[in-house]
Amino acid sequence: MAIEYKKSLAIFSGNVSVEEAEGLLDFFVKNPKGKINVADCSHIHAANLQVLMVVKPIITNEPKDMDLQTWLHIALK
Amino acid sequence: MNALLEQFLSESRDFLQGIADKLMQLEENPNSTELMVELFRFVHTLKGNSGLFDFPEMTRVLHASEDLMDAVRNGRVHYSQELADQLLEAMDFVGILMDEVEGTGQLSNQHSEVSAALAQSLRALIVSAPEDSIEIGSDAISILLESSEISIPKTNVTAEKPTLNLPEEIAVELYRTAKSGDVVTLLEYAPEAECFFKGEDPFFLVRQIPDVLWREVTTLNNAPLAEMDAYSCQLIFRVITTADVIELRELFRYVPEQVNFKTLEAASFILPDGEKEEDALQDEFIASALELLNKDDTATLIRSTETMLGLVAPTLWFSSALRWLLIILECDAENQALKRILIESLHTFELPNLTNLAAEIVVEKSPVEEIIEKSAIVLSEKDHARFDMIMKSQRDVLRLPNNNNAVFVGRLKAVATTLKGCCLALNKNSDAVEVEKALETAISENSSEALLTWLANYTIPTEKTVEIVESEKMVKSEQDVEKLIISPEKETHDSSLIMPNRRAEDNAPASKTLKVDQEKIDRLMNLIGEMVVAKNALPYLANRAETVFGVRELSREIKAQYAVINRVAEEMQDTIMQVRMMPVSFVFQRFPRMVRDISRKLGKEVHLVLEGENTEADKNIIEALADPLIHIVRNSLDHGLELPEIRKAAGKPAEGKLLIRASQESDRVLIEIIDDGKGINPEVIKNKAYEKGLIDETTLERISDQDAVNLVFAAGFSTAEVISDLSGRGVGMDVVRSAVEKVNGTVGIESEVGKGTRLFLSLPLSMAVTNVMIIESNKQIFGVPMDMVVETVRVPFDQIQAIKQKQTTVLRGKIVPLLSLNELLAQNIDQIPNEGNEFATLIVRIHGENVGILVDDFRETVDIILKPMAGILGGLSGYSGAALLGDGSVLMVLNPRELI
Repeated sequence: MAIEYKKSLAIFSGNVSVEEAEGLLDFFVKNPKGKINVADCSHIHAANLQVLMVVKPIITNEPKDMDLQTWLHIALK
Repeated sequence: MNALLEQFLSESRDFLQGIADKLMQLEENPNSTELMVELFRFVHTLKGNSGLFDFPEMTRVLHASEDLMDAVRNGRVHYSQELADQLLEAMDFVGILMDEVEGTGQLSNQHSEVSAALAQSLRALIVSAPEDSIEIGSDAISILLESSEISIPKTNVTAEKPTLNLPEEIAVELYRTAKSGDVVTLLEYAPEAECFFKGEDPFFLVRQIPDVLWREVTTLNNAPLAEMDAYSCQLIFRVITTADVIELRELFRYVPEQVNFKTLEAASFILPDGEKEEDALQDEFIASALELLNKDDTATLIRSTETMLGLVAPTLWFSSALRWLLIILECDAENQALKRILIESLHTFELPNLTNLAAEIVVEKSPVEEIIEKSAIVLSEKDHARFDMIMKSQRDVLRLPNNNNAVFVGRLKAVATTLKGCCLALNKNSDAVEVEKALETAISENSSEALLTWLANYTIPTEKTVEIVESEKMVKSEQDVEKLIISPEKETHDSSLIMPNRRAEDNAPASKTLKVDQEKIDRLMNLIGEMVVAKNALPYLANRAETVFGVRELSREIKAQYAVINRVAEEMQDTIMQVRMMPVSFVFQRFPRMVRDISRKLGKEVHLVLEGENTEADKNIIEALADPLIHIVRNSLDHGLELPEIRKAAGKPAEGKLLIRASQESDRVLIEIIDDGKGINPEVIKNKAYEKGLIDETTLERISDQDAVNLVFAAGFSTAEVISDLSGRGVGMDVVRSAVEKVNGTVGIESEVGKGTRLFLSLPLSMAVTNVMIIESNKQIFGVPMDMVVETVRVPFDQIQAIKQKQTTVLRGKIVPLLSLNELLAQNIDQIPNEGNEFATLIVRIHGENVGILVDDFRETVDIILKPMAGILGGLSGYSGAALLGDGSVLMVLNPRELI
């Protein structure tokens, strides 16, 4: 499971594939103020990225992957 | 190379050949829907197959071809010669790629550009079509957009000019990088909306870009979250990098049409930003700065700029420009003009005429966009009303009285700009030029009259006017009218074809043919050969059982068994021969294309007729036939057939006829190449041969015309005056003859001056089993191929006469030279005559002449499987090979042609 959904927190881990995008979108529709924890995430598929870009959620834990971190900052700015 | 790739390559070659064939047939019969559908299916399958591998260059071209064929099939584009040329070229390109894949197992990215260019020119054909195919008119675009698979890059990219909102510190850094000599590239990547369904991850791709200096990702999505489609890609990535563009192209080789690269000039980063507020000290500074600039006093200029910076609020545009000025003074101090522009811009807070980044990003337009533009001439009613309003208000502006000259000129210019904008929006560049002219006249006359006249004369193209123009076009050509009448039916017919779904076409009936590697067949044949030999040992065994062991009963049973095994083995041998049989069409199929290409190149008109393509022969024979045939056909085209004018002058039809016919004559295949060209002039040949020293003077005198014509087969002979890339190197026909003789074939030529030439090749059906006659000489047995043996005679000793040192005899009124086999094999022993003092003589035919070979005795004829000799023995040209006999002994088979 690349995304684990807690009450209002989505925990990303590893490589989050394109299949997750639908679930992620549903999650944010239900929790518009949902947060994300991307500490252990190495890559998210572009489909997920564009969902995040629309929602611009708060990141509770920054990704350890520096490149991904830079991209997320720019995308969710 | 893995098995899948191997299969792909072998299949694809068939497809390529099939495509070329179909195109040729279409040329004859351009309206055949059936052919087009088949052609489409070929291209479609080939594209699909290529997609299994990592060959984007190949797939791209095939995809474009497929789209084009789809358009042709549905009647949106008409089949034309140009189209065929394009497709053939594309297929040739694919063939080249396949060669490379076959050779190296992969594709280098050097083909990327050619591939893109080819794909584009193919697509251009789809696009250009709606203009000349009237029947579809303005609806063409919508049809095109709906039904073809062309990916349409998001128009948003072009609509809003991408301005890079670079923060000043990053811009400064980029400026310094660019100044230091690195190539700074802006990459803009707008993935197509459906890319997620193609298994692409644009974000992953973007993350692979090396040496990123700046990045940005934006989404075009503005739907509320609940309505958002997560699987429609709305992202646009922009990245500035110092990576090599070639490397970047390699990275984005799958989606070249979705990416733009732009090399950024250092100056393009100079974009001061901030609040545009006037500052009290501004004017004073500008004046002093310009003065310092004129004096070229850089040090003072830097100092005064630094002082100024301390005095103004850092958020101002003015301040930002000053900071830029300092950087330029540091990095690019030589550039006076740049500094001046920057300082002068402090007046207006606008930076003019620098390499304006925003304006320069030119997004390459896809062909589809271009048609959208071209056809945008047609305005909808609503737009038309708006357009009218714009025109009306311009007219009102122009009619305002001229109170102030300066204002008046400005007003004229403003109107002209508006009008030009309108013209450009309508894609009427020529009209925009007219506006420009009218403006010039108006300014020089100081009156708005010129522009008003232009406005009064200008009509806005509406759907109606376009229709009228087009209907006029229709009447012009009858053919076009026909098209118009035919097209509606065609349209419905075709739509019924596509309606179910395209996959139906893929469900071709399961193939009944099996593709087997030739090696396997060869092995099978070898095994059967061995079995035939083993089988032949049985009669010996039976013989031994009877004579040595005296068991007659057993001998009979062995013989009965032998009969059965013999029958099965012979059948097996027959069957395997059948497997190896191939129709000559394998060689013939390449001729239509070849003849077409060559005849076009030579400016000749040639009608090629192929006959008997289904005649079959052994694969080796067919393959050996390919090169000689190509040579002969080229020769016929180059030397045989004349140019249309010459033909007409000679009272022949302008179009030459080239007939290639295959037929079977007992156990030989006969192939004839007949042209109705100028024929071969024996006089010319004789003289040429004499000139080249191929014949001596006496021969020149008495040689018959037919023999003279045969001289074309002599080594080193060429009649062509000029060596062309087609023929004339003098290695032509003798190569043909030796190639044909290698497979035991013969070649002949007949020609009549002015009427044409007939070349014929006669080849054995199969090389596998050779019928040889066994002869005895010096207590050894030898085989002689039966197809060389004319007859066997016994020549009485007293009928042998010696002419000079040579023995001869007269056979049916003809002198036949006699040679002793022992002598030929360098054995110093006389041949042994029989009791009646007669010599056994084998008459063989070599190069059309009969020669008698004296041997000791004749034996039976046998079918053997001739194995060419390998290794050191292979160099003995006097033997054509060896074979195993039933009793296990080896039979050496002579090659009299080489021996004599």
